[in-house]
Amino acid sequence: MLFPTVDFAIFFTLVFVGHWLLAPNARLWRWFMIAASYVFYAWWDWRFVPLLAGVSALAQGGAVVLDRFPDEGRRRLAMAGAVVAVTAPLALFKYYGFISLELANVFGSPPLPLAQLVLPVGVSFYTFMAISYVVDVYRRDTDVASPGDVFLYLSFFPHLVAGPIVRPEELIPQIATPRDPRSIDVAGSAWLVMGGLFKKVVISSYVSAQIVDPVFGDPGGHSAIEALLAIWGYAVVIYADFSGYTDIAIGVARLLGFDFPLNFDRPYSARTVQEFWRRWHMTLSRWLRDYLYIPFGGNRKGRTRTYVNLLLTMAIGGLWHGAAWTFVLWGTLHGAYLVVGQVVARRRTTGELHQPERARWRPWVQRLVTFHLVCLGWVLFRADSVGTAADLLGRLVAGWDDPTRLVTPVLVAVVLGMLAVQTLPVGASVAIRQRLAVMRPVPMGIALGTTLFLITTMGPQGVAPFIYFQF
Amino acid sequence: MSNVHDPRPGTMPAGRGLIVILVALLTWSLLFAPRLEEAAEVHDGGARRTASLIVLAPLAGLSDVVGLTRVTDGVQRAVGLDPDAQPGDEDLPVDPLPDVPTSPQPSPEDPSVDTPTPIRTPTPSRKLRVAIIGDSLAAGVGYFAGRVFDPTLSRVSRQGRISTGLSRPDYFDWPRAMERIIAGYRPDLVIVMIGENDGQHIRSSTGRIEAQAATTAWPPAYAERVREFMSIAVAGDARVVWVGLPVLRDRAKWSGIRRRNEIYAEAAAAIGDVEYLDAWDLFDAPDGGYTAYLHDGGRLQEVRTQDGVHFTPIGYTILVREIARLATERFGLDPATYSP
Repeated sequence: MLFPTVDFAIFFTLVFVGHWLLAPNARLWRWFMIAASYVFYAWWDWRFVPLLAGVSALAQGGAVVLDRFPDEGRRRLAMAGAVVAVTAPLALFKYYGFISLELANVFGSPPLPLAQLVLPVGVSFYTFMAISYVVDVYRRDTDVASPGDVFLYLSFFPHLVAGPIVRPEELIPQIATPRDPRSIDVAGSAWLVMGGLFKKVVISSYVSAQIVDPVFGDPGGHSAIEALLAIWGYAVVIYADFSGYTDIAIGVARLLGFDFPLNFDRPYSARTVQEFWRRWHMTLSRWLRDYLYIPFGGNRKGRTRTYVNLLLTMAIGGLWHGAAWTFVLWGTLHGAYLVVGQVVARRRTTGELHQPERARWRPWVQRLVTFHLVCLGWVLFRADSVGTAADLLGRLVAGWDDPTRLVTPVLVAVVLGMLAVQTLPVGASVAIRQRLAVMRPVPMGIALGTTLFLITTMGPQGVAPFIYFQF
Repeated sequence: MSNVHDPRPGTMPAGRGLIVILVALLTWSLLFAPRLEEAAEVHDGGARRTASLIVLAPLAGLSDVVGLTRVTDGVQRAVGLDPDAQPGDEDLPVDPLPDVPTSPQPSPEDPSVDTPTPIRTPTPSRKLRVAIIGDSLAAGVGYFAGRVFDPTLSRVSRQGRISTGLSRPDYFDWPRAMERIIAGYRPDLVIVMIGENDGQHIRSSTGRIEAQAATTAWPPAYAERVREFMSIAVAGDARVVWVGLPVLRDRAKWSGIRRRNEIYAEAAAAIGDVEYLDAWDLFDAPDGGYTAYLHDGGRLQEVRTQDGVHFTPIGYTILVREIARLATERFGLDPATYSP
């Protein structure tokens, strides 16, 4: 079920009523919410429901088993076994097709049967959360929860298909404690939902259709200016699409009385790539840090090993996005950015490099450079092959004399406007939210319904799935 | 409740929250009902369509009576939309059609005779104008045609519209659109790939059923539409490559797709300057079944997407290459116009 659909509006209204009516009866409420979340998931393809249930059962089974072992060795073994078990379906669905095809080309005939496996929606996200749960129980960061709590933790529909990746200690205590029906932040939630819908339905759809899809589909047929706007445009599209989804997810969860962690914080205002990763898909960044980088040794095993760990973590993060060399290169490129950033920072600390003088223009130059380093990565991320990425970048050099047809003043305004708002302070929208918060229910409903009408009028008839559903 | 505390400022109880949600949905439904009703009406039967219309018809009527429709039409015009446009005309944008001066072109003396006439040789100052027409498969061909056709010698106009076909002019009127494309863009080469969505009742532009699906009346009625469409496509001196439908993963659709392909091939054989490309044979497995893979350039490539209908970028590129080759073979298209 997609968020911006009539189906979801009806589904959510029913769930909202059931959730608050059943809240006093914890047992009944839990089963109701699990059932609702599984209906939400089955709406895509009911055949994957056993997979979600299976991963949940494996995670809980693994956590219970490892928790019973007193000695560290057996705990570690049980944790590793559980992590492998919950990760196996993800690996199979995500990488089997790629590996079988690559092997067929290496050996001349397929040693494994060729198969296009349909990737179950959200499998990456609930697998990551299952790993979090097992590892956190192993680390004694969280206690073994009840099976019902774990099943709901992994399937809770607002985060189910594209995050945010919520940690056990953030969500399980909220599941275990009845939510308070007397103080719901309706205005704040509505602001998030409407903003998310606007970003997805209007901005992402418009910029994709107008410039990104045509230029990335056929880089050779477009000018340098079109190529540049398509690259900037894709930076806007992926931000609007993914942060839009997350905003809706956080808003929907908040209407049910749950707090999700922030996932985006104006990422294109970052002055370094390291800062970018503190602002972009923040829950994935911290997941990679806590469950890959730190287990690899983090920065505890010397300088060289730190750099290797950074590269490895980001390359794996890239591969997680898809079984393609473009994603591996994208991740590795970001790993390299982070390594270079660390080297420069260290040399400045030791005096090998001089500290740059403070100047008012410097942060803006840093933002501009960081944004374009990120954009270079986005070219690899969006292109269907390394060759297409190279063609597109080549247009930035060779395409200045070619005619420019796709660039319109509205498009330029939308792309640059979306980038410019990232530099506004967080509080810029507070006044609107405060005005909404003091409205009575009926006027607030009319205002929101009218806003929704404007958003759906400006958007295309059918809304494409969110980009991150495929990961 | 363990987290009992005084309500936070700016918050409200769940009951009031429900009022907000219901009022918001009701407001949106009233404002958006005419467009939703229009979208529901073009669905081809089914319980969902019936249920949607039962709910939406009174809402749309109410919206009309209280004058909201005029307001919402005004809003649509203000954001650059045509409230009277057909539903299929509102989706992803297609390339704008510039007015192009008529190019001298060897013209067939009688378009009803199957004697292909050569296409003109393009130059950098007078590029080959290619128009790509049809449904989502054609939209894909359009996106990747530029990887095959040389942009210094050709210009590709993407006119593919998703979820369209020839059986539902009440959703999108392709013959009328084709007349506009021919008059405005004057293509030298028209590539048509359409019909995957056509396995349904054939309707008039007002929605009246003219031939029921899966009846003996359907094939001749559909063949008539195909012939009419081809005649419009060649009327402006364009050469047409009509791409047949490829093998699909869903075997239940095979007999319908094959029947439609026969209709396209027969119509193309009967009308001059229209050539049929058999995409089924191009992409099927050696045993005649469905495969997502094809050998190309010495490598096994994944050419079909996971939906079992559309193509990957490599698949579309292979298809466009075959289209260009056929255009060379039958219409004498200069091979320098594209990369082989």
